[in-house]
Amino acid sequence: MLKGKGIPIFITFLTGMIMIISFFIPHKPFGDIEKISLTWYSIIAGFTMLLGVDSLIGMHFRKLKRKDENWFFSLVLIIGFTATVVVGIIETVRFGTAFDERSYFTYIYNYFIVPLQSTMFSLLAFFIASAAYRAFRARNFDATLLLITAIIVMLGRVPLGEQISPYLPKFTEWIMQVPQMAAKRGIGLGISLGALGVSIRIILGIERSYLS
Amino acid sequence: MAISTNFWIWIAALLTLAIYSFLYKDNPFYKFAEYLLVGISIGYGISIYWHNTIITKVYNPLVYDKNFLVLIPLLLGLLMFSRFFKNVSYLSRIPIAFVVGAGTGLSVPSSFEFLFKQIYATMPLKLDIGSLIIVVGVISTLVYFFFSLEHKGFVGKVSKVGITFIMVAFGAAFGYTIMARVSLFIGRIQFLLSDWLGIIK
Amino acid sequence: MLKRTLLLILFLILSISLFSENDSLIFLENQFPCEGFYITGRDIPNDGGSGIEINWSFPDSLDNCFLTVLRRDEFGNNSVVATDLLVSSKQVRDVSSDEEPSRVKDGIKYYYTGILSKKIIDENLLNILKEKSYLKNGTYIFNNDTFYVTSETDAVISKASWFNLSRIPVLISLIIIAFVFLYYLNLAKSGKELYIRKINGLDAVEEAVGRSTEMGKPIMYILGIGYVTDIPTIAGLTILSRVSKKVAEYETKILVPSYDPVVMTTAQEVVKEAFTEAGRPDLYNKNDIMYITQDQFGYAAGVDGMMMREKPGAVFLQGLFFAESLILAETGHSIGAIQISGTTETAQLPFFVAACDYTLIGEEMMAASVYLQKEPMMLSSIAAEDLLKVFIMLLIIAGFVISIFAFGFNIGLFKNLFDHLVNALQV
Repeated sequence: MLKGKGIPIFITFLTGMIMIISFFIPHKPFGDIEKISLTWYSIIAGFTMLLGVDSLIGMHFRKLKRKDENWFFSLVLIIGFTATVVVGIIETVRFGTAFDERSYFTYIYNYFIVPLQSTMFSLLAFFIASAAYRAFRARNFDATLLLITAIIVMLGRVPLGEQISPYLPKFTEWIMQVPQMAAKRGIGLGISLGALGVSIRIILGIERSYLS
Repeated sequence: MAISTNFWIWIAALLTLAIYSFLYKDNPFYKFAEYLLVGISIGYGISIYWHNTIITKVYNPLVYDKNFLVLIPLLLGLLMFSRFFKNVSYLSRIPIAFVVGAGTGLSVPSSFEFLFKQIYATMPLKLDIGSLIIVVGVISTLVYFFFSLEHKGFVGKVSKVGITFIMVAFGAAFGYTIMARVSLFIGRIQFLLSDWLGIIK
Repeated sequence: MLKRTLLLILFLILSISLFSENDSLIFLENQFPCEGFYITGRDIPNDGGSGIEINWSFPDSLDNCFLTVLRRDEFGNNSVVATDLLVSSKQVRDVSSDEEPSRVKDGIKYYYTGILSKKIIDENLLNILKEKSYLKNGTYIFNNDTFYVTSETDAVISKASWFNLSRIPVLISLIIIAFVFLYYLNLAKSGKELYIRKINGLDAVEEAVGRSTEMGKPIMYILGIGYVTDIPTIAGLTILSRVSKKVAEYETKILVPSYDPVVMTTAQEVVKEAFTEAGRPDLYNKNDIMYITQDQFGYAAGVDGMMMREKPGAVFLQGLFFAESLILAETGHSIGAIQISGTTETAQLPFFVAACDYTLIGEEMMAASVYLQKEPMMLSSIAAEDLLKVFIMLLIIAGFVISIFAFGFNIGLFKNLFDHLVNALQV
């Protein structure tokens, strides 16, 4: 019985309906249901994390074993992972929490993770330029419109724009407040309706592709 | 100022350069930084999960508050492990069904709230040309999202107006972000030139 | 008359100087400088209990005074609800906070008293007030500062509501919308054919998968950094189902690097089911749907690297994306892959439009799974969405027309109508 899709679909239906109904009932336990379900999600995700680690580390172990082209880097990944976990455990024993200011765990965060993250993030300065260049070359109406608006808004927000024309910042403000806002609301309305469609298809069991 | 003698700053600086080398092409330095970031961040993530989930949301409520409701997600979480065993792996569909149900269920009222808010915000609280443009923009954008009518004739023309509004909005969002991204890059350069090399203050 | 007033003032000064040393309260019987100030308490409506709302009304002259609110329960326990509120703030709520849960308990009688002062209230005074079981209404002096004690409110009892009345408009529209959806579902069941317009990016799916196969390259499907509780992620998973069916038909490979472990497991289910449906369960490889990391830029770095090395012929970016969107899309473009993207994040859509071959905008992405599998039941939900769009358009137009009569021609009736409309929309 459990092997069929029947029970999972019923669970989805029931959970979905409870969530909808609880929106209208502030009384306990319905009032807290959103908070509770998010906590539950994080607990489930916490356990599933082990599946994730199994998937990732397993993959790199296989690469290491097969001496794949990039085996050395797989080793770097495994060492990075193991070292972080081990340091975390040691520092938890030393300071009571791994997140103590003096712990090496915090050092790993500050000197490995933070610079790597923020440098990845800053790559966007280059990517945004190359994307803009592409839009510039596309030469169709939509792309040109996008690019012209982008240039106006960009200039309108820097001191140079004010020097070109005092109307530029005002015009930028108008673009943001009127046409930009209008399209954003239209897209937003579409998204809400689309989300309702997706939810209803899933809750009613019309869409069941997420179950095998 | 002189070049940094701090071991940790050197690590941060070399890793920064390794990531930037990707702009030239994929190379061993980038690969090293990439695999390291993935490995370390997942190790860090596990520690966060341990601290924020297992201790804060499972152990403490269960042991100190005697909140046995926590046993339900605990059981659902354990069911996920059924995937390690082929003959019972179908059991993992139960937690999946639950999270999908919760996600879609919660989205129904929140979509409604969002819908109401958008319509409310479109109501013209004063009469001017801006309000009219907003009404025209919202309606033509909505027409663009019409799926059950072919975009021909009048509908086609209105949806063209809609896509024009959409492109202006995208351009505005694009232009709005450019300077923010450039300043991220400037931030990294400042780190390299001042914290590491000590060339500028 | 003058004499008596002078005497009174002299008496006052004398008594102040006498008592000011030993921190005690002096009650001034007949002085009411704060006339017109009174506080009321009531249960907060439409909440889950444990909350009382204290309101006060005041003459404008007291705008800049401070108010401290004390609470006494039916057992005589006193506590301080809030200190030194600006009188102009009009309201304070006595509710549980994260640090102090269940301060107010349902079903118990509470009485509130306000202390009005010109300066921030003295800590010592606060302690003295907390000790007193009941304070008579009137003006007091403490250490040269005068303050005014309001009369106590009537007993207030907090309770939890079983229905949130402010959400009635939502309930009504939910019922209407449910009917619209059910109506179209029935229509579909009865065999009526429903139409869906062309969506550009989706006609390219076949081409993208086909071209990748020809080149002997895999397909990469990126679900972004959402969780399974996010609708865009769920929509991305439903599109994944259709795409992987095509992949199985073409006997090629699909890579799904994931950000969240639950998304990964769900994606595995989706791909497995699609391969089975296509009659090729043998081609399914669980390891192709792998976990990367839950770190936003770590994920971007990992996926970028994978793209550079696996060189997929087609890249799908469907789900919830934030700043990493352009990092992924530009890298995908640089390896020459056909890219079909889609998200609901309006801030990221411009980057997808600039860097990808096709972009599904917002609702298009939500409707994509229906488009790729044109079943009548699925199509019916799209038709329902469209009917709702017509409702919304009519509502907006009606609002605009009413506002012309209300503000343009200044007609009272339309002003009222407009107010009603706007109020109904506020949830």
